[in-house]
Amino acid sequence: MPIQCSSCAKKRAVLRRPKTGYSLCKSCFFWAFEEEIHQTIVSAQLFNRGETVGIGASGGKDSTVLAHVLKVLNERYDYGLKLLLLSVDEGITGYRDDSLETVKRNQQQYDLPLTIVSYEELYGWTMDAIVKQVGLKNNCTFCGVFRRQALDRGAMMLNVDKICTGHNADDVAETVLMNVLRGDIARLHRCTAISTTSDGEGAIPRCKPLKYAYEKEIVLYAYFKKLDYFSTECVYSPNAYRGHARTFLKDLEAVRPSAIMDIIHSGENLSVKEGVKMPVQGTCSRCGYISSQALCKSCVLLEGLNRGLPKLGIGKHHRLHDKILTQQALTQQEEKKLKAMDF
Amino acid sequence: MCQVDEEYNSPLEHKSLPAVSKKCMKCKEGTAVLIIRVGDAFCRSCFKEYFIHKFRAMLGKNRVIFPGEKVLLAVSGGPASSCMLAQVQEGLSRDAPKKLRFMPGIIYIDEGGVCGQNAEEREKAVVQLESIFRMTGFPYHIVPLEQVFTLPESVLEPVYSREQPGSSYKAAVDQHIRTEVTRGHGEPAVEETQDAVGRLSLQASTYKPEHKLALEGLFSSLKTLTAKQDMLQILRHHLILHTARINGYSKVMIGDSCTRLAIKLLTNISLGRGAALAADTAFSDSRYGDVVMVRPMRDYSSKEIGFYNRLFEVQSVFIPGLDTKTADKASIQRLTESFVVKLQADFPSTVSTVYRTSEKLHTACPPQSSTTEAAAKCLLCLCALDTKAGKLQH
Amino acid sequence: MAAPIAIHLEFGGGAELLFDGVKEHHVTLPSQSEPWDVKQLLVWIRENLLKERPELFVQGDSVRPGILVLINDADWELMGELEYQLQDQDNIVFISTLHGG
Repeated sequence: MPIQCSSCAKKRAVLRRPKTGYSLCKSCFFWAFEEEIHQTIVSAQLFNRGETVGIGASGGKDSTVLAHVLKVLNERYDYGLKLLLLSVDEGITGYRDDSLETVKRNQQQYDLPLTIVSYEELYGWTMDAIVKQVGLKNNCTFCGVFRRQALDRGAMMLNVDKICTGHNADDVAETVLMNVLRGDIARLHRCTAISTTSDGEGAIPRCKPLKYAYEKEIVLYAYFKKLDYFSTECVYSPNAYRGHARTFLKDLEAVRPSAIMDIIHSGENLSVKEGVKMPVQGTCSRCGYISSQALCKSCVLLEGLNRGLPKLGIGKHHRLHDKILTQQALTQQEEKKLKAMDF
Repeated sequence: MCQVDEEYNSPLEHKSLPAVSKKCMKCKEGTAVLIIRVGDAFCRSCFKEYFIHKFRAMLGKNRVIFPGEKVLLAVSGGPASSCMLAQVQEGLSRDAPKKLRFMPGIIYIDEGGVCGQNAEEREKAVVQLESIFRMTGFPYHIVPLEQVFTLPESVLEPVYSREQPGSSYKAAVDQHIRTEVTRGHGEPAVEETQDAVGRLSLQASTYKPEHKLALEGLFSSLKTLTAKQDMLQILRHHLILHTARINGYSKVMIGDSCTRLAIKLLTNISLGRGAALAADTAFSDSRYGDVVMVRPMRDYSSKEIGFYNRLFEVQSVFIPGLDTKTADKASIQRLTESFVVKLQADFPSTVSTVYRTSEKLHTACPPQSSTTEAAAKCLLCLCALDTKAGKLQH
Repeated sequence: MAAPIAIHLEFGGGAELLFDGVKEHHVTLPSQSEPWDVKQLLVWIRENLLKERPELFVQGDSVRPGILVLINDADWELMGELEYQLQDQDNIVFISTLHGG
């Protein structure tokens, strides 16, 4: 016997919502999903009228859904925002080409302007070239840092007021777990924040409107709405350690679906004891980006790549940063430490 | 796009291949019998010394136990609490000037009614434990979980019977001694203690059949194993707290090991108890006011405890719990235990890293301030409420 | 051809539940061409002694994480873990550290 939608009781239910377990028909599901995002945006006051908002678009399901929903809500509730798509080309042959095609199609489908920034333009290095120099062990470090800055720089070029990314509830929960497992207090404190404010030059405020949306629901939404997206893993396989946290999270969700929200809730209520050492935010003396060291991560990594010292950004060599800044030569021993790279 | 935002700097230590027949890293002479932490090999006698020293350093560093104070040791029969009992005996028996000077009692909560044991099995376990307890000479209380139905409502309120002690340890000790003297207690005579032992252990160990049924009813109404384990934890704490209060114990020692606390931390996060994290995993837990719970075993990994018990013949009794022989995914607690232990096998610094994280965290609103209104605390666990109905927190 | 070897096994910390509650076992491993190692011992235990729930004792080639292994009262990590070659009259202890205290 077909089950009735538990919300409107008129149409037949087509799915069970992973977040709540309720059986819903298509339109009630769409409405619930979109409405929750609307409530998230409104209660956290993520946007102001008249702002230009850059959506970090990768062609993947999260950013596609984000772009679609923002467009819908912007019109439905008259947010008065100017939306545009911002995409980053990391220069990974095969993987990136396909996803960029998807983003270009999104531009057509949602009728939103699109800008693409590439690592090549910004830094002079593609990920393919980086991997050749650096190997597969720490390449994610480079990519992660470079992408963050790339989005900011692209946004600055277009005079964007805010950036929003497609981080979903699963991502935030996973990050909380990772930070606890790695003992990263500073990040633990920040990672559940729905929006980060800018301190100092060069960082555009960014927010995560999908913070409370379950990944499963995003997939279902995209499927039922027949949204176009590209779903393959990066060819340079991601950090194996994060995979452990991911598996754990999925298992928790299987035992108790509210676990994802519970983890986020826990993260939001954690606070750091007084007297615990936290890094202080300053600015990079070379490019002005915000940084807790004299040189920002990006500059350090780039310097390493350009000098053929690929290990320069990996691990802690803060004392050497001063040397680099003042163009001093490194001793032979220091060079040797920074060169050796295991593939 | 790949959602990997920022990566972590410090490389993870992977487990190194086992080395064969090392020398003890401390005395450099004896043959090592075990490896703890990341590759530290110890010989038998150096290990014993290290282990015993750590216990007293833990108590000494935290300065929470006053000389002459009555301390209740919560023993479940398992390895960590049995080891804790052995350490207390060890610490009290030394003739060295740094001898521990407090008055211990033991409490064992018989949870057999909830864990599916019949009366005979429960009796058997109790007999085994009693023989261990008697050998220590400390007063002991065997309390069946069914007694939870005889608890007064006051157990759910924190009690602030004395003024807050002064800021220095010495001032606190002085105040404690003064309070004890005015109550008419000094060091009780040995015979008196033994009489008390006889009386107490008779009183508390029986339970009424209607309470047994009520307990079974309570637990069968909880649909998930996660909820049952949660409930068991709360009830256990309340019983221990109450027993401590009516018998004049101002401190309770709980045998949570480093491993167990790392698991507890992650479990709490997964259950949404982030706000109460610090209280549940810190060295001292003063949310109840007059009775402070301390965790002196928190610096020992379960491996260290397992080895110590084996090498130095510490007796423990294995009693099946709610989650014995259950599948990995049976409950959140079980899943987390499995996850942490597996991860620890590959990355030997996992437990200690998580443990250090817990030390740096605070509860969002500290629960132990007596000025917080009672209404703002959770009824069951006495931690500050962390929900504001109707408002999303960012 | 190696002679059959007598091994003394002990299970503790709750692991004995998987062996009908019996903590101590004196076993004799049959003779075979190569010497017995711990890895093979685990397979033998699984096939001949384990009464239920193998996944709670072994995982892949090794013991489940959380189970301590002592060979003649020493940490098996110091003896080569799975590669240690068993000798006659060896004492192997398996202690589970899961849910205790």
